[in-house]
Amino acid sequence: MIGEQHILSLLKRVTDRSPAERTELVYMGGRSGLTRYTRSAIHQNVVDENTRVYVRVAEGKRLGVVTINKLEEDELVRAAEQARESALHQPENPYFEDFPQPAEYRKTQTYFEATAEFSPMARAEVMKKVFIQAERLGFEVAGAFTSGDGEIAVLNSNGLAAYHALTHANIAIVPVSEHGMSRAGAFSHDVSTIDFEAVAARAFERCAMNRDQQEIPIGQIDVILEPNCLAEVMMWMGFIAFGSNAFIEGRSFMAGKLGERSMGENITVYDSIVEPEAQGLPFDFQGFPKQKVVMIERGVNRGVVFDTISANQAKARPTGHGLPPGMPHGAMPWNVCIEPGDSSLEEMIGSCRRGLLVTNFHYVNGFLDPKKALMTGMTRYGTFLVEDGKIKHAVKNLRWTESMLRAFSNVQAISREREVISDEGGMFSLMPAVYIKDFTFTGVQKE
Amino acid sequence: MQTKEWLREALTDLSRSGAEYADARYLDRESESITVRNEQVAGLSRKSDCGFGIRVLYKGSWGFAASARLTEADVMKTGRRALEVAKASYLTQREPVKLDDSEPKKGSYRTHFDVDPLAVPLDRKLELLFGAVKILRQDKRIAVAEGEMSFYRTDKLFLSTEGAEITQSILESGAGIEATAIGDGDVQRRSYPSSMGGDVATYGYEFVESLKLVENAERTREEALALLTAEPCPAGKRDLIIDSSQLVLQVHESCGHPTELDRALGTEISYAGGSFLTPDKLGKFQYGSKLVNVYGDATIDGSIGSFGYDDEGVPAQRFPIINEGIFVGYLTSRETAPVLGRNSSGAMRAESWNHIPLIRMININLEPAENGPTLDELIADTGDGILVATNKSWSIDDLRLNFQFGCEIAWEIKGGKKVRMLKNPVYTGITPQFWNSCDAVCGRSEWKVWGLPNCGKGEPPQTMHVAHGVAPARFRNIEVGVKK
Repeated sequence: MIGEQHILSLLKRVTDRSPAERTELVYMGGRSGLTRYTRSAIHQNVVDENTRVYVRVAEGKRLGVVTINKLEEDELVRAAEQARESALHQPENPYFEDFPQPAEYRKTQTYFEATAEFSPMARAEVMKKVFIQAERLGFEVAGAFTSGDGEIAVLNSNGLAAYHALTHANIAIVPVSEHGMSRAGAFSHDVSTIDFEAVAARAFERCAMNRDQQEIPIGQIDVILEPNCLAEVMMWMGFIAFGSNAFIEGRSFMAGKLGERSMGENITVYDSIVEPEAQGLPFDFQGFPKQKVVMIERGVNRGVVFDTISANQAKARPTGHGLPPGMPHGAMPWNVCIEPGDSSLEEMIGSCRRGLLVTNFHYVNGFLDPKKALMTGMTRYGTFLVEDGKIKHAVKNLRWTESMLRAFSNVQAISREREVISDEGGMFSLMPAVYIKDFTFTGVQKE
Repeated sequence: MQTKEWLREALTDLSRSGAEYADARYLDRESESITVRNEQVAGLSRKSDCGFGIRVLYKGSWGFAASARLTEADVMKTGRRALEVAKASYLTQREPVKLDDSEPKKGSYRTHFDVDPLAVPLDRKLELLFGAVKILRQDKRIAVAEGEMSFYRTDKLFLSTEGAEITQSILESGAGIEATAIGDGDVQRRSYPSSMGGDVATYGYEFVESLKLVENAERTREEALALLTAEPCPAGKRDLIIDSSQLVLQVHESCGHPTELDRALGTEISYAGGSFLTPDKLGKFQYGSKLVNVYGDATIDGSIGSFGYDDEGVPAQRFPIINEGIFVGYLTSRETAPVLGRNSSGAMRAESWNHIPLIRMININLEPAENGPTLDELIADTGDGILVATNKSWSIDDLRLNFQFGCEIAWEIKGGKKVRMLKNPVYTGITPQFWNSCDAVCGRSEWKVWGLPNCGKGEPPQTMHVAHGVAPARFRNIEVGVKK
């Protein structure tokens, strides 16, 4: 950790020395450790320490960006000179007005000393206990455990100065038996809140169930999707629908259709940094305060996320979802949440006459037909046939191909409980489990 | 170079401190990416990235640490940190890592180019991109017209406690254009020369100019517009001709990834998945028909899957993977090759200084058929089929068996002729069944190496520049469309 004062004073000095009309600096840095394991042994164990500074300047409406991973003041000033030179050779961006003005930010608690100090040896000790537990059950364990810290700062020549520190701890436990495998995971900014034994127990229980997988005929069948499945789908929704560019360019199913219904009345999807279960970065990479944005409200298209430039283009208000400077993707959602329902996973299974319990999706792709949110993917880590309210047996992994607009119009139940799914850097999604009627499966995993 | 001396000192210090092996990689990369969308510069960034990583083997367990701080004290500290990480790994060790006996090399490697793209004035690059985009935009139904360029100059140094000392300097250039047509609730996209950023090679700016983006813009636009009114590709079992612009991804996902030995041994099982090509199948599994010959080759001039030495210091090689349909070889590393009683095939690559090397694809190529047909001849030889081109969507299961690909465009073939354009083509299959249905591969004149700069693998995710030489091929009785 370099610290707020040190970073902001460095960025201020560079801004003051920048030859450009206006200057914006975005600092990202931190230390991240990753421990990967397979067959109950660590096979990859890494620590890296890096910084990155995005230097964006404006000459009138011309913008230039240079990115470097050095922190010397003179190097940063040189980067500002290069960015200015680049800006002068570019056409004007008619949608750029100015960098954001100073703002107040919501306080979010995402930094915890215990996580920052969690060492490679501490991660290894946690895993050793898990490996011993697994061995008793006849399983081997694969997965990854990451922990680390990060700092993000934005400072511009309008006097805006934003700083936020965060930590992350993320564990995936994948027990493997000769019959099959499963997965359970946990994410927290505070490593001391993760109950590793409970995560392992959940993974082991599912792994014991995932055996003697039978092939079932493809076609339409009810599904109960666990939170991880929805997290993958919602990540794709960000690309194809909820981001500013897809909306402005008319590629999103929401383009020109705000106020129209695209999903069932029980579906509300929004982007928020302050939820009971998780908190996120309070500003975007322009230093603009993050707003809560409702994308789908009771099934009706309500809006998408914007940065300052895309907001001008769409004649909308910025929502604080800008990406690092120089990227061509416009604004994207960072913290997608689905509103919880009043059911539970157990109740959904109990109410299911015939369907599949799907624990994870794999390799989802949403580019098939974005206007219909047509996606494909596989099931993974345990798919189970449910009959007459009980889990009957495991089935072979299946390929599904489905319009997610159709799927989210057929949701019969949503769980109260939601799971935080994240990796690091302030991004997370908050997903419940859902019961969907008549989900379409189109293939089976077999040799 | 001072950094080299500090890295050497750190390796010496690690040897003294009980490391049985250590290597150090220093990397300095300059890159530029430009995206022009409609009348705007949508993204333009010049990046520099510089740092070093130290990998340590302690009592048969790995540790890795990396830092961007280039001072003597930080280099030494990072080495010590890597050793501490290795000691943590040792806590759970079951089998010690043993490296093969590849000889440590001293050498250098440099790609060749005529025009340094990072020195080409920005005005000239923008003029080319805007020129192509202007043609794409000559119809108002083209909602998004995009042009992209990307350039990378990477200088690397590799040192090891075994005495290896290697420098490499690699320059890469790439470009492409894309038109998105929107009409009547439909979105259709057409790209040139390929989707996802175009084509990339280890040449200079002359490669970008050779792509002739402006000259190909009108055809790209017209195909995108024609797709709006084209019929959807009908579902059913059909003979399928796959153009090289799509076959490149088929080879990537179903030949390249499953033959990475670390994946086959389970080190990716909790992330991107494993492989159905387990070592017991080596030398006997009928992966494809006799026409299917796949090989790895990191020595192809101009390809982004080429280099002089991999990131373990092993020289670039050419080696068979599928021989007349039989699975015979893996992409390997110094750690994994001894499992097969072999030495590394030189496929360990790291995205940057702060990533540990993993087994990655190099150039994984489908051999053209000797005296094989041209694409036109192959179409003429097909009574009833579908020709698909340019990837649009991709998905494959965690063992690399069940795949589904979507393409930008298709044509129906009847009586040896392309009779109509079709949109939204999707095809699906099971990898070995699919490759065993291959009954024709085009000849050398149709063979082309495609650069693929976005191969993802590992945690934290690493993006690798790989390539595939492919010629169009025909597959019999393939499931086209979405079966319900």
